[in-house]
Formats: sequence, structure tokens, C-alpha cells
Amino acid sequence: MTALVLDIVTTAAILFAVASGLLIILGVLKIVNFAHGGFLTIGGYSGLVVTQLGLNAWLAYPAAVVAGIVMGAVVERFVIRPLYDRPLDAILATWGLGIIIGQLITIVFGREIQFVQTPITGATSVFGETYSLYRLFLILAAAAVAGGIAALLNATRLGLEARAVIMNEPLARGLGINSGHVRFVTFCIGAGLASLAGALITPLSSVDPNMGVPWLVNAFMLVLVSSVSLASLAIAALTLGGAQVLVSTFISPVIGGLTIVVLAALLLRIRPAGFGHG
Amino acid sequence: MSPTVLDIADLSSGYGEAIVLRNVSLSIRPGEIFALLGKNGMGKSTLLKTVLGFLPAKRGRIKLFGEDVTALPTHLIARKAIAYTPQEQTLFQDLTVEDNLRLGLRDDRGFAEGLARVSEYFPIVGKRLSQKAGTLSGGEQKMLIVSRALLGSPRLMMIDEISEGLQPSMIQRLTEILLAERKRTGTAIFVVEQNVPFAFSMADRYAVLKIGEIADDGVAGDELAAARVQDQLRV
Ligand SMILES: Nc1ncnc2c1ncn2[C@@H]1O[C@H](COP(=O)(O)OP(=O)(O)OP(=O)(O)O)[C@@H](O)[C@H]1O
Ligand SMILES: [Mg+2]
Repeated sequence: MTALVLDIVTTAAILFAVASGLLIILGVLKIVNFAHGGFLTIGGYSGLVVTQLGLNAWLAYPAAVVAGIVMGAVVERFVIRPLYDRPLDAILATWGLGIIIGQLITIVFGREIQFVQTPITGATSVFGETYSLYRLFLILAAAAVAGGIAALLNATRLGLEARAVIMNEPLARGLGINSGHVRFVTFCIGAGLASLAGALITPLSSVDPNMGVPWLVNAFMLVLVSSVSLASLAIAALTLGGAQVLVSTFISPVIGGLTIVVLAALLLRIRPAGFGHG
Repeated sequence: MSPTVLDIADLSSGYGEAIVLRNVSLSIRPGEIFALLGKNGMGKSTLLKTVLGFLPAKRGRIKLFGEDVTALPTHLIARKAIAYTPQEQTLFQDLTVEDNLRLGLRDDRGFAEGLARVSEYFPIVGKRLSQKAGTLSGGEQKMLIVSRALLGSPRLMMIDEISEGLQPSMIQRLTEILLAERKRTGTAIFVVEQNVPFAFSMADRYAVLKIGEIADDGVAGDELAAARVQDQLRV
């Protein structure tokens, strides 16, 4: 029982970390960044590089954040920004970009599945059951991500301007806010978060050039039911992620992998606002 | 001689292919209150949106404080000591009163001082800082809008039909506040209005916009002008 609850909480934490970057980019730029899976993969491979260079495993996280931010900056400047007036084309471009990132990674690192070292190994006893320390660490990491985003949004001038742009961009511009700059910074942060999430999840599984795809699909569905709210995203990750764990545990892991997509689609039929206020 | 605050020359603009404004020229001097009047759909809001760079000028030129801003992006125009108050969606409904006010300044320095000043005009604004702007009453929202505009002590205020839906005593109060603020900072004020008595109670000069063109303009001082403009706004 304890293990099951912890599985649900850690799965929700991972899903939240993966989807948060997608959410803030959707909120500010009003586009779904389908390159999110690609950015996540970059984070996974940042961890692999750290492993292959024999560096301290903790360095995977800052390395992934930096790689994600740099990629995000380049992509925003040269792909997203020129398509600002054509959001549909911008979304298609991010889709293509995701594929290109996968191909580039294949060329550089090969197609095969590889493994990344874990900064925390071993298990601990929680209420009498042994549980992976690394998975417990992921709860902390997701909480830090959530706290960091919330602090950035609610306690800084940039966050205030980002919220203004999310709610009413023309009004924000009329008050002197450089919405282009807000979009750029947001995209960089979103890409950095995606990449960080990629580095966080790789010690649990492995890296391969297409590792981002299933995460992208799940994150996309979670964001769709969250109406650009971090609190809703947390609830969505907990409930839909929880359902995924239950289905995987008691029915089959294969069907479990489809749970989030199916439930999110059903939820949107019944209640288009999803977990948001409507 | 300080340059004109706003100088619009031969301006044409509109939406896509549709031309709304044709060859509009007007200028506003430092400290001047200028009223632009006209019936619904004549292009008043379109003119303000073009000055702010939301719409590109198809012809002509716009200067602010002597500088050509015709092709400048909106946020850079807005940073030129201008307070623009659009006709619709003027507040961030889901942000608090305080956050809406903070967005009237480019950074948080000077906020406390500015807040103390506007709270003297509108005490309610200072008392409702943590309330969501969208939950204020219509009249309270107007007070917040004006407070935000005054917060940064602008050199030019551009106010699009603020009097809509306000009770007479509130309109009277607003007139006093805008006149007091002009006296304090020497700001110029560009009001777009359909309420002729309100506009003429403050304005130094006026212009009437008719199907995108200036049909009449002059000094706002005399009763005759007010009566003539009132006539032009009738159907
Ligand atoms: N976004 C838009 N797209 C196309 N046409 C528009 C748009 N906004 C306004 N128009 C048209 O431009 C013309 C002028 O509109 P504008 O809003 O400037 O009028 P106004 O003088 O401010 O009127 P009101 O007093 O009703 O606010 C109208 O015919 C209107 O239908
Ligand atoms: Mg109008």
C-alpha cells in the first residue's frame, strides 16, 4: 500500500516536472511547443555526457538546464519569433524541430539505448516498506520546480509582466511591456525545465533518441486539462498520473501507458475546462 | 519653445485593407487638454490605436515630443511618458488592484509614493489593494484605470471614453482630478469622448471626427462651440 501511494506521488511529481515547461510556454506564447519532447531528450543526453565524461552525477542537472536554455534561446530567436503572426505555422515548426532534434541526437550518439548514472542510489524504509531513494528525491525536485515557477511568477517583476502578457497581451504592450522579451525569456525557461525534467527521469529508465515522445504526449494531455494553471496541473498530474499507476499495477503496464491520454480526452468531452475554473 | 507633445500629420490608417482614418492632422501642445469627439464608429479609438502603434499608419507621420514614432513598436511608444487608457479591456481582470497599479509604472520604484498620491484622489483604490480588479464595481474600475494612468505622472494621457457609464457626480470629480493633475505635472491630456459637457468642461481645444476625417475643430472656450459640437453628435 505504501509503495503504491509513493508510486502515485512520485509519478505525479515526474509528470508535473515534465509538463510545467510546456504549460508556461502555452500560457505566455499561446503555442503548444511540440519540440518539448526534443528538449527533454536533450536533457537526458546531457546526463549521458556527464556520465561518459566521468563527472559528478549531480552535474547532469545544471548541464541539462544550461543546454535547454541555450537551445530554447536559439529556437525562439530563429524559429518561433519569425512566425509570431502565424501561430499554426509556429506549432508545425516546433513539431518538425522535435523530429530534427531526435535525428541530430541519433547522428551524434547513435540509436541504441544507453544508461545514465544516478546521483542517489539505494533504498530506504518508508513505513516499513523499502522504496527507491531516487524516486523520493524526485518529489523534492518537482516541489522545487513548482516553488521556483510560483516564486518567479508571483514575486518578481518579470513574473508580473508574464502574467499580464498571459491575460491580455495588447493591454500589456500598451503599458510599455516588451512582450517579445517576456516571450523569449519564458520560452528559454520552458525549454530549460523540459531539459531538466529529461535529466531527472533518465536515471529511472534509459536514454534513447525518441525518449521524449511518450512524455510529450502525456505532458500535452495534462496541459490541455489544466487551463494554464500550475495548481490545476498539479491536480491533473496527481489524478491522471495516479490512474496510470493503478492501471499499470493492477491491469497491465501497456494499457497503463495509455491511461492519461484516454482519461484526459474523456475529461475534455465532459468538461472542456478540464481541471481549470472554466 | 518645447516641441508639441503629439503631432499627427496627414495620417491614414485602418484594419487590413479597410481605411478608417483619412488624412487626419492634429497637434497637442504641452499642458493642453484636447478633446476628440465623434459618433460611434467614426474612428476615434482607431486614431488612438494608431498613435500607440497597435495599427500601422498607411500614410502620414506621428511625432511624440518631437520624435517620429510612426514605425516604433507599441511598447517603446508607451514608454515615452504616455499613459494610454483603452476603451475596452482596460484592466487585467484577474490581477489584484495592486498588481494592476504596479503595471502603470515601468518598475516598482516610486510605487509607494505614487500610490499615496492617487489614494488621495480615490481612497477606495488604496483600500482594495488585494481585491481582484474584475470584482470591483464599474465605477470603481474606472477609478482604478485613472489611478493607474496617473501613477507614473505622464506627460501625455490618452483616455478613450472614460465617462461611459459614470454617474454625473463621478464625472464632475474626474474633471477636477484631471485638471488638478494637469496643474501639478503640466501633463497634456487627449480625451476621446461622446459626452460633450464633460469634454468641454476641461478641454482647451477640440476636434470632431466624422467618418475618419476631421469635420470641425477649434477652441473649446465658448458655449457656441459646445452647442455646435453637440449638434454634430446628434443623429
Ligand atoms: N478590429 C477591427 N477590425 C475591423 N474593423 C474595425 C476594427 N475595429 C474597429 N473597426 C471599424 O473601424 C471603424 C471605426 O471604429 P472605432 O472603434 O475607431 O470607432 P469609435 O469612433 O471609437 O467609435 P465608438 O464611439 O463606438 O467607440 C468602425 O467602422 C469599426 O467597425
Ligand atoms: Mg471607440
